[in-house]
Amino acid sequence: MTRPVATPARPEPSTARPAKQPANLAERSWWSRNQRSLAPYVFVSPFYLLYGLFLLVPILVGFYLSCTEWAGLGTPRWVGLRNYRDLLTDQSFWAAMGNTALYVLFTLCVVVPAALLIAQALNARGLRGRDMFRMTYFMPVVISPIVISVVFGLIFDKDYGLVNATLQAVFGFGGVDWLGDPAWARVSVVILVLWRWTGYLTIFFLAGLQNVPRELYEAAAIDGAGPVRRFWDVTLPALRPVTAFVAVTVLVNTAQIFDEPFLLTQGGPGESTLSVAMFVFRAGFQRQQLGYAAAAGVILFVVVFVLGQLAMRALGVGRSTR
Amino acid sequence: MNGMSRRSLLRAATGAGLGALALPGLTACGSSSGRTVSSGRVDVSLWTHDPGYIKTFQAAAGDKALMQGSRFDYRVKATNAAGSDVVTRTIAQAVAGGNTPDLAGVIVDQFPRVMGSAIAENLFVDLSDTVRPFEGELLKLAPYSVDKIPYGLDSDNSITVLYYRQDLFAKYGIPEDLDTWQDLARVGARVYDQHKVSLGMVSTGDNGAIVNGFLQFLLQRGGGIFDASGELVLDSAEAVEVLEFMAQGVRSGFLMSLPDPYGAVCGAALKSGRLAAAAMPNWYNVYGLQANAPEDKGKWRMRTLPRFAGGGHVASILGGTAFCVVKGKPNTEAALELLRRVYLTREGQLLRYHSGGFLPTLKSLYDDPELTSVADDYLGGQRVFDVYRAAAADLPLYYQAPGMQFLSDLLGGHILQALQGKTSAAAALKAGIRDYRQQVKR
Repeated sequence: MTRPVATPARPEPSTARPAKQPANLAERSWWSRNQRSLAPYVFVSPFYLLYGLFLLVPILVGFYLSCTEWAGLGTPRWVGLRNYRDLLTDQSFWAAMGNTALYVLFTLCVVVPAALLIAQALNARGLRGRDMFRMTYFMPVVISPIVISVVFGLIFDKDYGLVNATLQAVFGFGGVDWLGDPAWARVSVVILVLWRWTGYLTIFFLAGLQNVPRELYEAAAIDGAGPVRRFWDVTLPALRPVTAFVAVTVLVNTAQIFDEPFLLTQGGPGESTLSVAMFVFRAGFQRQQLGYAAAAGVILFVVVFVLGQLAMRALGVGRSTR
Repeated sequence: MNGMSRRSLLRAATGAGLGALALPGLTACGSSSGRTVSSGRVDVSLWTHDPGYIKTFQAAAGDKALMQGSRFDYRVKATNAAGSDVVTRTIAQAVAGGNTPDLAGVIVDQFPRVMGSAIAENLFVDLSDTVRPFEGELLKLAPYSVDKIPYGLDSDNSITVLYYRQDLFAKYGIPEDLDTWQDLARVGARVYDQHKVSLGMVSTGDNGAIVNGFLQFLLQRGGGIFDASGELVLDSAEAVEVLEFMAQGVRSGFLMSLPDPYGAVCGAALKSGRLAAAAMPNWYNVYGLQANAPEDKGKWRMRTLPRFAGGGHVASILGGTAFCVVKGKPNTEAALELLRRVYLTREGQLLRYHSGGFLPTLKSLYDDPELTSVADDYLGGQRVFDVYRAAAADLPLYYQAPGMQFLSDLLGGHILQALQGKTSAAAALKAGIRDYRQQVKR
């Protein structure tokens, strides 16, 4: 850190009030001596204070809790790493991890590309009713979860559901037990994820597309590139920073997925749609195993943190493209 | 930089935050202190999931006859929350030393959460002395007891009866007085085959609903999940028989599989007449039938359940909510007296029935003229206490244990597989018990 170039002029000794004036630098207050170098830290301190209070402290307390057995009342009992050891042999936890991995994979492989394609379509010249389309795609994000739960419960019902009725009318079969069969229940959850988040991600891609210089497309067209080639060679490279941001965000958020399986299937049938976040919720707030829940939460945190870091490095998030 | 380094500054800030948050979070535990209110005006805070209880307690507070001789002048300050949230928030507030309720309405399937780690003992008033004068008279106390100490008074007996559409029974030639489930299942299979109409339902939704539906039949058959000492007794011939009966019912169409017995799909089944009967508790009349099919007023009737050929009871139970008094608070004494007046007196029990439709929990009330004369318009003017009296006289006992939540989560999927014919009843129960034992050994 460089020192200030301009130093304040030393005060002239005064005979009028000599007792109140410091005789030399050593006699000045600590704050007076350091205020210039400390001032920036004072200004940035609110952030670090909040960062400490609301991020570091919960992480540290969570880690402490994860090494205890605590039902909520009374004093937590220290059990060391026992909760972690138990988690490794808990089939419910591994089921939740497997389901969560499936949701993450689906979101990255289907939802993100779908959002990109929809954004590309919405960005097309001459598209009428663009605002209406944008609003329609964005609407699922703002609909109340309770409404989603009721409506999708009806849509996916085996006997009275819209999906089965449509399948029956169009293809002549419609007996899929969307919410009662473990495999189909997972499919139902990922369909809900697709419906709920594709439009939201589309907004990011649309913003990115609108910043792609039109000259690049014109140059590519002059070189004889068709629409598909222009998409691969112009659009995708230009959208790389946005895509990287969306992919990392989606990875981190989907790894903590809770709403969709909770709303649609409550983690069932059995534990076939249980996610890790639901596992944590269930252990902490339905079974009063706060230490165990904290241990699962710490594992989730570590996994998400590591994956997020790896993804950011792989996709070059935060690095200059030059 | 002189004086304090950046690292030191950050370390100090983090340390201060850690101390500020961790200290109250980890050490505060227990109830708020204050001077005990022993007479006069008292604002009792009530947390519940059901507006019916709010109405009941507020009506009780203003009922001069019921409150005659009380030292307290009650006001009820109610907070409505989801059933599971009442327990979660009560515990959280107790941990934080915050604002716990004076009276907490705990749904029966949430009570196991307070059965372990001495939570009930630390949080709620021991009601042993309160209920002692009513020994043998109270119908349902066991599910809310820990080590045989009661911590909650049930609001309702949740007596399961058979509701049925009398007009559809007549139309399809179904006798209304069949003695056994086996007889009804045989007729039901024929009715489904010919008319695609079911005479009962099983839940295939969340694990709790699946297990509750199974438990309802199991209790009627004379089985149970836990015994009085909290030991698992699910590994029984009765359990296998009941699950086989349910699976067979689903296969034949006699029982309709529904995700939610109270939701929109069930409403559609009721409205369309595809569901012509249902074994459900007394409260299903209001919350299930009347809510989903108000236009069917006068068409429904109820009776005691057909017996299982192998034995058991003519009634069962499903659901319920107990009210617990939070201990160590200024209003604890007042809240306990309010609970006693509303739940353990004839006047209180009558008020509860008239305010919220809650059935008496004292046996003698089932012969009370004021109740025996009650006719239900939705049930075609049927005198419902004729049925409730017979059912209350043959109610099965029901015990819970701290592991009930585990069992519910783990057993649900296996039961569902049996209902879908993917595994046998015996194998499903065996797998569920194995999973449960693996998880609770921790």
